[in-house]
Amino acid sequence: MKVKVENLNKSFNGLIVLDGINFEVEEGSTAVVLGRSGIGKSVLLKCIVRLIEPDSGKVFIGDVNVLDLNEQQLNEMRKNIGFLFQSSALYDSMTVRENLAFPLKRHTDLSEKEIEENIKEMLALVGLLEAIDKMPSELSGGMKKRIGLARSLILKPKVMLYDEPTTGLDPVTSKEISKLILDMQKQFKMTSIVVTHDMVVASSVADNIFLLENGNFVFKGTPEEFMQSDLQIVKNFLSQKL
Amino acid sequence: MKIISIITESTNRFFETIGGLMNFSIRFFAEVFRSPYEIEEIKKHMDELGVKTLLIVSITGFIIGLVLGMQTQPVLARFGAELFLPGTIALSVIRELGPVITALIFAGRVASGIGAELGSMRVTEQIDAMVVSAVDPFRFLVVTRVLATTLMLPLLTIYVDFIAIIGGFVAVNITQNMTFPYYISLILDVLTFTDFIQGIPKTFVFGFVIGIVGSYLGFNATKGTEGVGRASTTSVVISSILIILIDMVIVRLTLMIFPE
Ligand SMILES: Nc1ncnc2c1ncn2[C@@H]1O[C@H](COP(=O)(O)OP(=O)(O)OP(=O)(O)O)[C@@H](O)[C@H]1O
Ligand SMILES: [Mg+2]
Repeated sequence: MKVKVENLNKSFNGLIVLDGINFEVEEGSTAVVLGRSGIGKSVLLKCIVRLIEPDSGKVFIGDVNVLDLNEQQLNEMRKNIGFLFQSSALYDSMTVRENLAFPLKRHTDLSEKEIEENIKEMLALVGLLEAIDKMPSELSGGMKKRIGLARSLILKPKVMLYDEPTTGLDPVTSKEISKLILDMQKQFKMTSIVVTHDMVVASSVADNIFLLENGNFVFKGTPEEFMQSDLQIVKNFLSQKL
Repeated sequence: MKIISIITESTNRFFETIGGLMNFSIRFFAEVFRSPYEIEEIKKHMDELGVKTLLIVSITGFIIGLVLGMQTQPVLARFGAELFLPGTIALSVIRELGPVITALIFAGRVASGIGAELGSMRVTEQIDAMVVSAVDPFRFLVVTRVLATTLMLPLLTIYVDFIAIIGGFVAVNITQNMTFPYYISLILDVLTFTDFIQGIPKTFVFGFVIGIVGSYLGFNATKGTEGVGRASTTSVVISSILIILIDMVIVRLTLMIFPE
């Protein structure tokens, strides 16, 4: 499923955050959205799944404009979408196992045994099988990200949205998470949008890079084009980050 | 004057909250009869509520009965009516003290807990995570908790009534020598069906109020840990006020419907 956003607008009490955004992510490819803190990256991702209702515009997932869907249709659509939250957002009253079982129990007809197998398979993929009985409060930040990733991938979504997958992690763990994202990408062939301000992640996972500034994209292109761009705004961004 | 503006402002906020609570309650009744029912969740919450409150309501219930007995005994003795002591204790406990005091303790322990729990789920994006995984957080988090408090408070109240009556028995035996069967028979002589009608049904309403207030404030907590704290304390304040107001109305109404 490809993702296409047309003329998307969102403002909060007069503060314009998204100002006529247009972009397209081809099926199976990975787009990285860069931008400084507070510029509206999370708002953009949340508008795509309608956690935040945009003021106007269109958001196509496959051929469907999600903004036209009613509550029930929207929930059907959301089963195709994985979302990794900036804060991981693990359910802190549930064990890791229960966190992963949560979507499976509600959206599939799998037996208890099959659910358990699915959970173990997914945990093995993110390298945290031994954490299966732990509570989220017992996990480190990097482990939470991995479990969050496992949970959002467990229904095998066709579209995956990552909100700052490496923020707050040390460089080594950041590298591991980027590698994990690449591995998952290869394995499940999802259409992905990765929001970040981490150039290491961006250059390793991106097919295309979009730089968000003042409500719109000021750069669109491949990672190579981004690194060599003459645009002052890109140079500023790179010099701050490298 | 500053005090007046503070009063008008907090009155406004109070009525705003009441409006929000109304909407939340309507939504609850629209959702509660629709499947899936999440029975496991409801049982889990009821268990937790019991564990959380059993000790404190036991102690309070016993002491209420004891103190009530000790306070009333000299008054009745003045009229030579000490044999009415067990009945008086039981009536006060079953009609009023048991339900209201249990509900207020429940509000302190449980409404604050729900407010904090859902508040922190809100600010750490756990509620958003539920939404994007196509599970309705209102049904999963709110409906289950409100059902649990609504069903659990009446059970706890019956238990507290019983414990308080035992406390009363101890009080009676400070000044008189009375066997437990005789104590109970004196109570059963005066107790009527109306007393239970006065005492038990309203606890369903109190339980509902506690669940709804905690859920509403937690669910709508605003960003940050400060918001979580505020949801928790405000839950206790609002649900306690509502319990006392609703109790007053219900007492008046039941006295009209079931005149003595
Ligand atoms: N629910 C909301 N209500 C009001 N304003 C909001 C809301 N959500 C976001 N904003 C505002 O929108 C702007 C963009 O926020 P957003 O969270 O998208 O930034 P971001 O690019 O993700 O930053 P970061 O890298 O720090 O996560 C900010 O000014 C923020 O205050
Ligand atoms: Mg963000």
